[in-house]
Amino acid sequence: MYILVLTVPLLGALVSGLFGRKIGEKGAGIFTSGCLIISLSWSLLIFYETTLNFSTTYIKLWRWLDSDLVTAYFGLQFDSLTAVMLIVVTSISTLVHIFSTAYMDGDPHVPRFMSYLSLFTFFMILLVTSDNYPQLFIGWEGVGLCSYLLINFWLTRIEANKAAIKAMLVNRVGDIGFVLAMLAIWDQFGCLDFASVFNIVALAPSDNTTLICLFLFIGAVGKSAQLGLHTWLPDAMEGPTPVSALIHAATMVTAGVFLLIRSSPLLEQAPMALMVVTIVGSLTAFMAATIGLVQNDLKKVIAYSTCSQLGYMVMACGLSQYSISLFHLMNHAFFKALLFLSAGSVIHALADEQDMRKMGGLIRSIPFTYTMIVIGSLSLMGFPYLTGFYSKDLILELAYDQYYLAFAHWLGVFSALLTAAYSLRLIYLTFISNTNAKKEVFSQAHEGSWNLTLPLILLALGSIFVGYLTKEIIWSFQITLSPIIPTSIKLMPVIFSLFGAGTAVVLYHYSSRIFNAPTSPVGLAGYTFLYSAWQFNYIINHFLVQNVWRLGHLITFRVLDKGVLELIGPKGISQFMIRLTQEISNLQSGLVYNYALMIL
Amino acid sequence: MYYRYMIVAILLLLLGVLGIVLNRGHLIIMLMSIELILLAASFLFLINSMITDTLIEQVFTIMVLTVAAAESSIGLAIMVAYYRIKGTIAIKSLNWLRG
Repeated sequence: MYILVLTVPLLGALVSGLFGRKIGEKGAGIFTSGCLIISLSWSLLIFYETTLNFSTTYIKLWRWLDSDLVTAYFGLQFDSLTAVMLIVVTSISTLVHIFSTAYMDGDPHVPRFMSYLSLFTFFMILLVTSDNYPQLFIGWEGVGLCSYLLINFWLTRIEANKAAIKAMLVNRVGDIGFVLAMLAIWDQFGCLDFASVFNIVALAPSDNTTLICLFLFIGAVGKSAQLGLHTWLPDAMEGPTPVSALIHAATMVTAGVFLLIRSSPLLEQAPMALMVVTIVGSLTAFMAATIGLVQNDLKKVIAYSTCSQLGYMVMACGLSQYSISLFHLMNHAFFKALLFLSAGSVIHALADEQDMRKMGGLIRSIPFTYTMIVIGSLSLMGFPYLTGFYSKDLILELAYDQYYLAFAHWLGVFSALLTAAYSLRLIYLTFISNTNAKKEVFSQAHEGSWNLTLPLILLALGSIFVGYLTKEIIWSFQITLSPIIPTSIKLMPVIFSLFGAGTAVVLYHYSSRIFNAPTSPVGLAGYTFLYSAWQFNYIINHFLVQNVWRLGHLITFRVLDKGVLELIGPKGISQFMIRLTQEISNLQSGLVYNYALMIL
Repeated sequence: MYYRYMIVAILLLLLGVLGIVLNRGHLIIMLMSIELILLAASFLFLINSMITDTLIEQVFTIMVLTVAAAESSIGLAIMVAYYRIKGTIAIKSLNWLRG
């Protein structure tokens, strides 16, 4: 019955996708949500079995790749890590399904949407339950594919299409790293399933482990939107809001961190790779937090905050604190899903307006959503005794302990300050400041129906209690002694967060000068730099994409297609032969005396 | 001692060939050149008959003469038919079939 957790979302996707016309919009919503609820209940049972009762389960299904050189089984592995991921994926996905039935109401393609969501969940479950790398890669590519399908769900919008193609292509850069890592693992160890590889690597460490880990990390960078390959994540906001919640909270971006956690025995043998992981993670956390400060799109602020929090998780992996990273992943899934779905509620209330500058004053018309977004933001800031507090501050404490990478700690703490600042900025601009919305839109603002609000309530409960409830369980995965650090350092993230939050409120409430800051030359330069996301898109487009584009035109089109193939390739040869035979046949002039001459 | 006769015969043969190749005028000249070639061939047969002192070449010569007569009559017939259609028997106008 363990396999049910995998097959039920697939069943939902198939039925809703193939027979969506038969079962109707409501039917598709109810059926897929019901399937997901079954899956969620089974994953709770699996959590009970594997984590609380310490009975890891392995299921070998069938032989899959079978040759002399490599043998891979199609198998499932349910251990503590998988169980935690299953709970995260299925619970968030269930709530997103229920939310979507309200949010997408009136859309002509609801069955297709629900089908894609379920397929997404299926691939993610396949990813977390696999017991070998190739099978994990199926899920890996599957979630990339489903993100493509979902980001351009409204496929008549050119922006959505471009964002989806970008998401697919940028992810593919990371996927190549993953494929190379698989090839290197196979070359080094001769097998691809986790159990064998991780046992061998501890016994016989080799020089190639660093290379393998770096390749794996490239894969994680692409999927988890770390520095360099993060540009697809903000653009992925073009999809419907439940999709953003699913992609950026529970499923897709967590896959990269999951891969790092899963490959922890490999990473442990490569200190060099761990250092790279820490540096990239902390830089991502800092960079995304600074960009989040100045974004005007409600969803993009939350997207950059996702990027930043993923930086924390990757940093924790780099510090060898994999279970803490997993803990933060779980907590983050809850409060980020809450934030995204609340943002969806705001957008729903304001008739699809996403610009924060055209919001404001919503605290009176939608107080429930306001409460939810405040809970989510406080949790994200690491406010004491909320979910984010337990994992985020722990990561920072552990980073302080690693004194050889002290700058990671400072970047992390400073990101915490910025996180608080942009969260409060979001709340202030959307709910508290005077309104800038159109009158007819603002007066129509309202809370959604029960299936829009119920997921928010459940996620808010999760954002408050999950960290407290599960901290002992997840900490127990890894025997780590808590570092002994001064109390001032322990308190610092909280103080910094409160300071950042207070600064944001003061700046926006009491000082109108902050709105004038971008008009001064220095302010303008800084604002442009941050608003355009550190110019990453420009740099990549200008120096990389355009050159590749030009190379494609010059080499493959002009030199290969028009040059080699047309001059000396098949086309050139055939043209030469035709000309030759025409000249030969011109010898037959029709004049009799020429024939006579030739005969003689 | 028969060399000079053979040289004459070969010269006649070459004359016929050149008549065919170089002739740009009428078909009749071409037909006459063919006759000349056949006569030169018959002449060579006869000389060989004298050299080898056998009769078989003379029999051959008679047959060649017969064939030549038949050939020139058919040739003339074709030419007449051609003249009826085209109104000319110039070889230069005979180039309708090209490669």
